[in-house]
Amino acid sequence: MNPTGIWSSPALRWIAAGMVVFNGFFPAVWILFTSLKTEAELVQKPITWWPSNPMLDNYVKAFTDQPLLTYLKNSLVVACGATALSLVVAAFAAYAIARLNLKRRQLILTCIVASSMFPLVTLLVPIFETMRALGWLNTYIALILPYVVLNMPVCTLVLVSFFQSIPRDLENAAMIDGCTRMGALWRVVVPLAAPGVFTAGILAFVNSWDEFLLALSLNSSPAVRTLPVGIALYQGEFTFPWPIISAALIVAIVPVAILIALFQERVVGGLTQGGLKG
Amino acid sequence: MLSKLRDPSEKTLALLLLAPAFLLLLMIVVYPIGKLVYNSVYAVDKNGVFLGLQNYIDVVQDPLFWNATKNTLLITLVTVPGALIVGLGLALLANLPFKRKWPVRLSLLLPWALPLSFAGLIFAWFFHTEYGVVNDVLRRLGLQSEPTSWLLKPNWAMAAICLTVIWKTSSFMALILLAGLQMIPKSLYEAAEVDGASRWQQFWQITIPMLMPSIIVALIFRTITALQTFDIPYTMTRGGPGEATETLAMLIHKYTIDYSDISFGSTLAVFMFVISLFVTGFYLKQIGKNAQ
Repeated sequence: MNPTGIWSSPALRWIAAGMVVFNGFFPAVWILFTSLKTEAELVQKPITWWPSNPMLDNYVKAFTDQPLLTYLKNSLVVACGATALSLVVAAFAAYAIARLNLKRRQLILTCIVASSMFPLVTLLVPIFETMRALGWLNTYIALILPYVVLNMPVCTLVLVSFFQSIPRDLENAAMIDGCTRMGALWRVVVPLAAPGVFTAGILAFVNSWDEFLLALSLNSSPAVRTLPVGIALYQGEFTFPWPIISAALIVAIVPVAILIALFQERVVGGLTQGGLKG
Repeated sequence: MLSKLRDPSEKTLALLLLAPAFLLLLMIVVYPIGKLVYNSVYAVDKNGVFLGLQNYIDVVQDPLFWNATKNTLLITLVTVPGALIVGLGLALLANLPFKRKWPVRLSLLLPWALPLSFAGLIFAWFFHTEYGVVNDVLRRLGLQSEPTSWLLKPNWAMAAICLTVIWKTSSFMALILLAGLQMIPKSLYEAAEVDGASRWQQFWQITIPMLMPSIIVALIFRTITALQTFDIPYTMTRGGPGEATETLAMLIHKYTIDYSDISFGSTLAVFMFVISLFVTGFYLKQIGKNAQ
């Protein structure tokens, strides 16, 4: 809408911004409050909103009662591994599609994007069988390989458009000056494409960090559980330990929240270029 | 040979660069599709006897399959338009000329970056009968005398799940629509203003038509993901009470992982694939019609 009219009033703009911020932040803030309450305060009625006696015991318990540190490590290894491999695979493919003299480049791009957007749930059974046959169930690689496919559409689309934005003449000039094609790729294209690689990397990281179904199905052993699965399976025998869960959720949310807060513009740019995540 | 490797011909290089992507797709997508169909007609767990269409007949006669299909379609039909409306509202608000853009932008990015399973856990706590904030607010507003057992009653559980899905997915919608809004030339509104068009007319005559491409893209992706809904019902209700909120994805997971019935799970997956294809195809056809 245009900037004139009723919205030119600063008070109404504050209300509008307040609504959006409330919608985005309230769940995380509420969980933060819950994580600071004692178990006794949590079961008070009527419930309190602000923690009357904020304390960090739940965070200590989240790490000592449950193997949260292991889950955190597993998530980091899987997400970083999947991100690195996604970037290499997608950068290779994107360079070939954007730059090399290929017939039917559009068809190849469509194939990559369409086949990796295939509903992953329907492929759960055969992926499970494949990993079982290879003896890879309960290993990091069992998650990393499917996550690379999961990240492929967005990474390839972002990188293709970045490679296309680098002037071809720069590369040609390097080759005239005696660089090989690989040399030109390494010395000219890679440094210039760094922002694109970075954007694709953040999107791939968030995708891999968030995935639940495969992590739940392929890596059921507690030693290799990722954060989403580990925390969801906290719900133990009789009661659901809400204060500890809340603390664990905050621990799991903060790294990604910092990442997207620092690189907001890149994330938004990458998402609208080819971001395909619900 | 060595010099050839260091400076391969363009075609060789292209094939080498595309190889890893295609090998992975072969392993994770193409081979599994074939294996899926194979699994559905052979008893893979019982000496590999050929079953023909027996599994397909069993699926069609399984009330759990129809129940899960009904739930999946219901979630799709409610949450896709729901997320579109909420997302459009958020996008319109976020598009106002704020001096500082980052708080609003971060508010849209945070729910997007939050894992679906965490959204499920957080909202399960919101909808808790005794200590949930939802019942507390309803009681304070005087709308409720007895606390509602949100996640223990079939219809309320479905409503709570749909609300959670809408909250979680509307931010992504808003980000896509916001990018679309920012591409509408200001001059269009200025011209409409000169012609005396009301704000309401401007919204329906300029904003919505100009936004249509973004809306369609967002709708397609949201529909594809809605059909695969798993994380939020799994973390909120585990499909309960009974099977009242069990989706197709949860049924496939249950048969394959919990019951180790690979054949039946595969057949269900084939059905789900056909449903996804049908819905996506329907959308693409509608878009084709619109484009003409």
